[in-house]
Amino acid sequence: MLELKNIFRWYNSGVNRAFVLRDVSLNIEQGEFVSIMGPSGSGKSTLLHILGMMDEPNEGEYSFLGENVLKIKEKQRAELYKKHIGFVFQAYHLIDELTVYENIETPLLYHGIGSSERKSMVADILDRFNIVGKKDLFPNQLSGGQQQLVGIARAIITKPNLILADEPTGNLNSKQGQEIMELFKTLNDEGVTIIQVTHSEKNATYGSRVIELLDGRIER
Amino acid sequence: MIQNYLKIAIRNLLRNKVFSAINIVGLALGIATCLVIMLFVYDELSYDRFNEKTDRIFRVVFKASINDGKINEANVMPPTAQVLKNDYPEVLAATRLRTSGSPEIIYQNKKFKEHDFASVDANFFDVFTLPLLKGDAKTALREPNTAVITQDFAKKYFGDENPIGKVLFIKSWNENYKVTGLIDKVPHNSHFHFDIFGSMAGVKDAQAASWMTSGYFTYLVLPEDFDYKVLEAKLPQVIKKYMGPQIQTAMGMSLSQFLQKGNQLGLFLQPLTSIHFDEGFTGTLEPSGNIQYVYIFGAIAVFMLLIACINFMNLSTAGASKRAKEVGVRKVLGSIKQDLISQFLFESILLSVVALLLSLMLVQLSLPVFNDLAEKDLQLDFLKNPLLLIAFLVFGLLVGVLAGSYPAFFLSSFNPVEVLKGKFKLAGKSISLRSGLVVFQFFISIALIIGTTVVYQQIKFIQSKDLGYAKDQLLIMRNTWSLGKNEEVFRQQILQDPRVLSVTSAGYLPAGPSDSNNSMGYPDSDESQVMRTLEYKIDEQYIPTMGMKVIAGRNFSKDFATDSTAMIINETAAKAFGWGKNAVGHTITRLKNNDGLKVTYSIIGVVKDFHFKSLHENITPLLMVSEKTYGLTIKVKGKDVEGLLASLKNQWQKFNVEEPFSYSFMDELFEKTYQSEQKISVILSIFSGLTIFVACLGLFGLATFTAEQRTKEIGVRKVLGASVSQIVTLLSKEFLKLVLIACGFAFPIGYWLMNKWLQDFAYRIEISAWIFVLAGILALFIALLTISYQAIKAALANPVTSLRTE
Repeated sequence: MLELKNIFRWYNSGVNRAFVLRDVSLNIEQGEFVSIMGPSGSGKSTLLHILGMMDEPNEGEYSFLGENVLKIKEKQRAELYKKHIGFVFQAYHLIDELTVYENIETPLLYHGIGSSERKSMVADILDRFNIVGKKDLFPNQLSGGQQQLVGIARAIITKPNLILADEPTGNLNSKQGQEIMELFKTLNDEGVTIIQVTHSEKNATYGSRVIELLDGRIER
Repeated sequence: MIQNYLKIAIRNLLRNKVFSAINIVGLALGIATCLVIMLFVYDELSYDRFNEKTDRIFRVVFKASINDGKINEANVMPPTAQVLKNDYPEVLAATRLRTSGSPEIIYQNKKFKEHDFASVDANFFDVFTLPLLKGDAKTALREPNTAVITQDFAKKYFGDENPIGKVLFIKSWNENYKVTGLIDKVPHNSHFHFDIFGSMAGVKDAQAASWMTSGYFTYLVLPEDFDYKVLEAKLPQVIKKYMGPQIQTAMGMSLSQFLQKGNQLGLFLQPLTSIHFDEGFTGTLEPSGNIQYVYIFGAIAVFMLLIACINFMNLSTAGASKRAKEVGVRKVLGSIKQDLISQFLFESILLSVVALLLSLMLVQLSLPVFNDLAEKDLQLDFLKNPLLLIAFLVFGLLVGVLAGSYPAFFLSSFNPVEVLKGKFKLAGKSISLRSGLVVFQFFISIALIIGTTVVYQQIKFIQSKDLGYAKDQLLIMRNTWSLGKNEEVFRQQILQDPRVLSVTSAGYLPAGPSDSNNSMGYPDSDESQVMRTLEYKIDEQYIPTMGMKVIAGRNFSKDFATDSTAMIINETAAKAFGWGKNAVGHTITRLKNNDGLKVTYSIIGVVKDFHFKSLHENITPLLMVSEKTYGLTIKVKGKDVEGLLASLKNQWQKFNVEEPFSYSFMDELFEKTYQSEQKISVILSIFSGLTIFVACLGLFGLATFTAEQRTKEIGVRKVLGASVSQIVTLLSKEFLKLVLIACGFAFPIGYWLMNKWLQDFAYRIEISAWIFVLAGILALFIALLTISYQAIKAALANPVTSLRTE
């Protein structure tokens, strides 16, 4: 599904280059559930952002579904991203001014989906996640676990085939975290590829593969 | 999508109530000011454009320079129109207008004193577009003693009856005028306004072939796309052919001799559309507009709007950190930059529409006040003028885009990774830009404070200037001509009153309405020195009553029988004739009329210069002779003016004349001369107040943001032992620095502009340094006051709470 070849990412700090990723190569197949692990500052998030096309490497190649991501135009890349990738954050990042319903609906607006179809899609997902009763609440009226549920609902409503999750359970208690991981597992079983960044060994066990990063290099 | 934008926008507005209010109120004030001024400017520029032949109508004016005395007259000699029409085929039509004073008009039992009576040629309504509601424009004024009147005029005399065919008795000239036409009214944006237009056909003077008199406003219609300069170039021939012989008779020298002495004179053409703004002509029908004020107000309108838009930009970018997360999330959800730009533009347009509605209310509320101040009749009437509505909407859209474009590009360019990781910091560039905007706002505000102060100072200077006469306690009665010979009887009666110091009988006054007379004369039998000067006809009481000073020689006196050929001149005249302090004993020969009659006067005194023109103009040479004219000026003693007036009225009524008892005060007439400056001063101070207010709104918003952003820093500093005043200083310092930089720009530019404005006055103040100091301190003080609320609030906050929020 996607392939990274010899990826380097650095920042210039004074005369020195501070390397975040050094020579990372990686191949991920459709349907995998990958956990990226490693200590703070090992480059996990940066790797995720590069995979999610939100950041660009300084060197290296990235192909996604056969497209050379770093060579194609900005607009095409945005299309590719919009169509295939969903993002889930540690801090949920819901829009505070919008209700649960509206938050979930927002990506559909950017996909140019008609109003009636939007309604049924959002209704389906609210139903599936069991949060119909919460649809008119604002994010600050929800618990962390509920907010993350909405975040995931928002990420999968456009039916992406890759979900990138940046420590999705980092702000949750263990019970809530477990529920979220179960949800990811179910989604994975339905065929969605999932890449998560996590600190937790336990969460990593839900995945099919673990990538260990240390100082910007893949250890394992 | 729009719905989603709308929701976000409204929820954002409600969440940040203070900033929404600042933005909306600021924008609304900016737009309202701009609208009012635009209406004003549009009105000023629309003068005389209601005429269908606007671009083809030209007024003939007379310009001359005789012995360095400049004459620019808006009206010309009676035969000019006819001669130009006959001699030049390109003159398609020529028409004249003459004012005929303020007659008393009677119809049955109705009797009014009219302000202005105009005599016009029969083709007047063919040249100017004043459609006749009743009567035939072509024939209405063909016969002598016919008149076209306005609807208001008709209503006043005839009520609802048909005015056509009615006969008005003009008591002042003992003549009847038959009404033959009715017009609605002369539009307010016309350079002349009359309620009654009488036929010129019966006016004898109008047929005179004299090229030595004037008083006829003469308008030509030229062919379409005809360059009037071509015709103007031919006009010297007219002077040579027609005026030349009359100059020969009157002055005893030929036109070419006259011109060889360095004199100039000629006829010129003035486009109809430039009449309203053409200053410097004497004898105009109405005071001209001042294009300078159109520019000044226009600039204020633009600046006001800019300041309001800058506020919007400033607050939006300052508040960017609050919106940053939303931008990041939206980008992650698949929004591209364009989507975000349109979202933020949509928000600013929405805001500007709300502001627009609010400004509409403000305009409706403030227009009456402004109309009162500017003596205008401006209206915001969309029904009458649908174009205005479109202009209005486009305007709102433009303001929205103008104010919203920078924030939209700024916000939409955020990098989602940084924003969502919380690494987001406002870039230094945006902070320096914001500082630049604050500097600009205060630059304008300070410049306006300087401007307002200078205008105020100049007006105060005018009011307290030594005028050469004492304007206080002078009571003026202009219409004593109606008493005829009894004026002297009345004067003697007044003198009996213990509240009266002295009374003079003369129609010439240094301020307000006055008789006016220019005469040609030359000094010491030297005809080559002929000069046109203003001349006062006064009596021996005039100089003491007015409080003028004779600095050499003596005043007129009844004891000298020879005083009928005696003359008193002012200092400037003594200088102009080259006599300096030794004028007494010299002579001046006056050309009495066109027929060459000359009378030589000997100078018996020199009066100290006094201001008989406005302080815009230099004092010019003035001659005073002892001749009878009507009009009483009374120097009052003590405070019982009310009682004096009552007894004067009582005495007046005993003479049983038609004229009502009426009076005015010299100091009030004097004030009126500077009414336009007074009004400008008021309007200017209102606008500068508004500008400063809006600028402060913005500053308040910025200060709030800064205080919020630095909450943690303030907390840490307090834990480390900083005092409240140290924190307040910390927060205020930067803004005050910006105000000081603004001063650096505002001082030189304000000085330059106001110096230019002052050039318009022959007598003016020097702009002193303290005005700048005052403006600077005032701006600093206002800024400090604005910031201090937020600064003190932040400084007083408990550091524990401010640190816990992090």
